[in-house]
Amino acid sequence: MRLNDRVFGMLMLILAVVYGWEATQFPEPFGGEESVGPETFPIILSFFLGASAIYMMLKPDPDEAWPVLPMLLELISVVVAILVFAWAIEPLGFIPAAVGVVTYLAWRMGADLKMSLIIGVSSSVAIFLIFNNVLELALPLGLLEL
Amino acid sequence: METLDFLMQGFAVALIPESLMFAIIGAILGTLIGALPGLGPANGVAILIPLAFSLGLSPTSSLILLTSVYAGAMYGGRISSILLNIPGDEPAMMTCIDGYPMALKGKAAEALAISAIASFIGSFIATIGLVILAPILAKFALKFGPSEYFALFALAFATLGGITGKNQFKTLMAAALGLMIASVGIDISSGVQRYTYNTLELFEGVDFIIAIVGLFAISELLFFIEKHAGDGLKKVAINKLKLTMGDIVKVLPTSLRGALLGFVSGVLPGAGASLGSFISYTLEKKVVGDKGEFGKGDTRGIAAPEAGNNGAASGALVPMLTLGVPGSGTTAVLLAMLISLNVTPGPMLFTQNADLVWGVIAALFVGNLVLLLLNIPMIGIFVKLLSVPPKYLMPIVTLVASVGIYSVSHSALDLYFMVGFGVIGYVLRKVDVPLVPVILGMLLGPEMEKSLRHALVLSDGDWSILLNSGLSIGLWTVAILGLVLPVIVGPMVRAKMSKSKEATSS
Repeated sequence: MRLNDRVFGMLMLILAVVYGWEATQFPEPFGGEESVGPETFPIILSFFLGASAIYMMLKPDPDEAWPVLPMLLELISVVVAILVFAWAIEPLGFIPAAVGVVTYLAWRMGADLKMSLIIGVSSSVAIFLIFNNVLELALPLGLLEL
Repeated sequence: METLDFLMQGFAVALIPESLMFAIIGAILGTLIGALPGLGPANGVAILIPLAFSLGLSPTSSLILLTSVYAGAMYGGRISSILLNIPGDEPAMMTCIDGYPMALKGKAAEALAISAIASFIGSFIATIGLVILAPILAKFALKFGPSEYFALFALAFATLGGITGKNQFKTLMAAALGLMIASVGIDISSGVQRYTYNTLELFEGVDFIIAIVGLFAISELLFFIEKHAGDGLKKVAINKLKLTMGDIVKVLPTSLRGALLGFVSGVLPGAGASLGSFISYTLEKKVVGDKGEFGKGDTRGIAAPEAGNNGAASGALVPMLTLGVPGSGTTAVLLAMLISLNVTPGPMLFTQNADLVWGVIAALFVGNLVLLLLNIPMIGIFVKLLSVPPKYLMPIVTLVASVGIYSVSHSALDLYFMVGFGVIGYVLRKVDVPLVPVILGMLLGPEMEKSLRHALVLSDGDWSILLNSGLSIGLWTVAILGLVLPVIVGPMVRAKMSKSKEATSS
């Protein structure tokens, strides 16, 4: 199967066209037309991206396998876990958020649950202490402030 | 002798306690980063940039820290090559060929010690080369006008895939993507908003440090999980070191040859450390001929590639510092560091920031000595740390990377961007589009566009100015050769590399 490159090439071709078209829609800069405006370089780029995208569709390389559905869901869960961590730093505080994400990641990478929790708690507390006390970069305490 | 004076001044900077401390910390971290399979040098340096940044380190200290990490990673790569038969980073591949057989014979400690000595010689000679060549090249580069710079940037992209690159069009695509990301934000010379969609956060463009950490570190995490690589690998046990003076003398000529070849391939665009170690190994095999036991654990087979890749690592700093055009992923990340510290690399660096440049070069010498001293007696500790399985290590690395990003601006949005780039990096790697040109595009985009504009303003819109000097025609020629040659030569070199690798593993 050589589908990956064809699909990806197609997406990139669309991106090239949209990007190039938008460049032509830039408002005229203050002070009038110049020989090289803000749109010149982007238009050149869209041409290069388009050319390589077309080549990719015409001469695709063999596919690398995509993960099967359960694995794909797992990868998505990992991505979501990091996003939740990013969101939670301020409302919940750094330590609870970090314990959650490190424990989850270690567990998903194959550590048993107890070990994951130990790694999660110890690394989060250690990093919090290093950042707050040694490096003097304040991380939010959040819930633990009470 | 002007150079010597500058170098002495550099040592004055590099030998103050603060610099020494950063050199030692960098050397240790770098060795670890290099030794852990999957956590390459570019990745490791990228994770440390936001940390150095949010700590408010001075440009000199940050750069000393990160160049020591860079040098250390080249040392570290050999550890997993020898003990696991898996290169810690790509240039260490050739070290597997003789290193692993030696380890199997119960001579792992000797292999590690000899490779450390060869690495030291490689870096040392190449750093001397850097001292000699960099000021000359910097002076020469003062002649460059905007059209030459534009050609030079094109050359950097064209040769980035390297002589061993697989698909030139994918390199081109990656470069275009990076340059496109760089164009987001308010255009510096006209003030027009480009691709911001009136989002305030995009006005200043996309921060490349966030992109680098996302593309490298987060996508690596996803690959680790997908491959179930969490448990790590079995390694050969390490013995007690028995090294004689004779063993060292035996590899000296080899290391010297390797160092020189490595340096040259580091300086040349498109060659890089992998090719440096490959050429050194092949040449050594030819020079020694049938007397050697290459592939079965010959010490010279370890010394040659190690001297080669360490030489190339220092050599690669020459174009990065003098022209502002990096030739490899890791030097690209170092360039990112410089730019975010508001230090503009290029010929002017040597006149305007002489302290910084020479301090860093002197720090390379110091760092190398530190590395040699660390790597022989303390090798046992590194080996122990290497046996921490990735399932414990990767989550912590991810946490450190995220905290680094977060502490720069204290905004969760930056972390969302980081994760977004991680997903993009994962997809790009799946379709075999290289990530380094994306980074390089983001870094060089603004400068490249600026030089195009300057050139065309000077010529009043006449595009032929891009080809109006012998120098720029020369640069374009090399750029075109860099794109075309790999299509012809690449398959041959790759076949040779994998053949010599297979010959040993079978």
